[in-house]
Amino acid sequence: MTARIDGAAVVTGAAGGIGLAICRRLAAAGATIVAVDMADRLGAAVADLESSGARVIGVQADLTTERGMDAVLAGLDGSPAALRTIVNSAGITRDARLVNMTAGDFRGVLDVNLGAAHRLIDQLLPLFDHGTIVNISSRAYLGNFGQFNYSMSKGALVGLTRALALALAPAVRVNAVAPGLIGTEMSMAIPEEVREKMVSAVPLGRMGLPEEVAETVAFLASDDSSYITGEVITVGGGRSLSK
Amino acid sequence: MIRSQNDELAGALGGLSLPDSALVFVANSGVSDEWTAVLEELTEAFELSQAAVRHSGPIVYLLEGDDLLGRRGIGSAMVACGLLSAARTLALETARAGVPVNVVAVGANTAPEMVGFWVEVLCRPNGPNGELIRLGAEHLGKALP
Repeated sequence: MTARIDGAAVVTGAAGGIGLAICRRLAAAGATIVAVDMADRLGAAVADLESSGARVIGVQADLTTERGMDAVLAGLDGSPAALRTIVNSAGITRDARLVNMTAGDFRGVLDVNLGAAHRLIDQLLPLFDHGTIVNISSRAYLGNFGQFNYSMSKGALVGLTRALALALAPAVRVNAVAPGLIGTEMSMAIPEEVREKMVSAVPLGRMGLPEEVAETVAFLASDDSSYITGEVITVGGGRSLSK
Repeated sequence: MIRSQNDELAGALGGLSLPDSALVFVANSGVSDEWTAVLEELTEAFELSQAAVRHSGPIVYLLEGDDLLGRRGIGSAMVACGLLSAARTLALETARAGVPVNVVAVGANTAPEMVGFWVEVLCRPNGPNGELIRLGAEHLGKALP
């Protein structure tokens, strides 16, 4: 168990597999969760968190819009705890080889995966005198076939992480987590035959669990990582090394 | 095609012997921290890269090494690191055809001629692919991007 995580934690993509696991883990460490997601299933995620005793404020919002940002600020207004943690976990994929990629799919992925994180941090920084930011990048930032848009967005998120780490030190630590193949709804939608081939390339021989990503996020959000900033931790079962 | 707002660099690159379909994309120096500026730069990279790839053109993204480590602001860091990741992905997509996609990160005092030398090398068919060449000394002993 990592150290206690005090204050409020804004978690985007909170209704997704990884996002929800992060909410659960940060709540278990003591954080008040501001769970942000644009999907209708956010209600079920909030109910799930509340049933385990978490203090949670649900904010259904599209973070690519100003209205969405206002909703997050309003959600934080309702929090009894001061903002101490931001976790940018919202993300989408629209895969195609570059030769076939549409401008809409390029722009859509950049807007959600990068623009929303950039704007959220920009909006919340005035409320943030000290704390931690954890950006959920992806192992795809090292390159992944058919994901020019996604890979670019996740690499740029690493750039954002590094620049903010330098700009906000020492008051705020900023790090990134780069998950590999994780057993979420998104990856379970991959045809079984393809998924098995992907798993066979993972040295640890299995998909990761959302909880394993969440554990790394909790480490980076807590004082257990008090001398770490500007880093990217890959949670990928060794896939960055294998053929 | 050479896309550069740096006249000195554009001049040096203009004299190189490159395939007609090649793209040399020089990231704008000092992109502002505004999201619209970042998106505009990355969108232009997307459009020009797509055009080059459709003609089997080699691609080199040129950027500043300091930006890969986030030393000059968030806008230019997002652009530089985004381009590096995009190059690594695109290199996978073009590898079978032997079309290289690479990145050159320049240091503060790198001579344009040295940049040109590496651009020519990295545009050769079946040459290095998915590589990052870092020029100058500012990166020594620092993080691998």
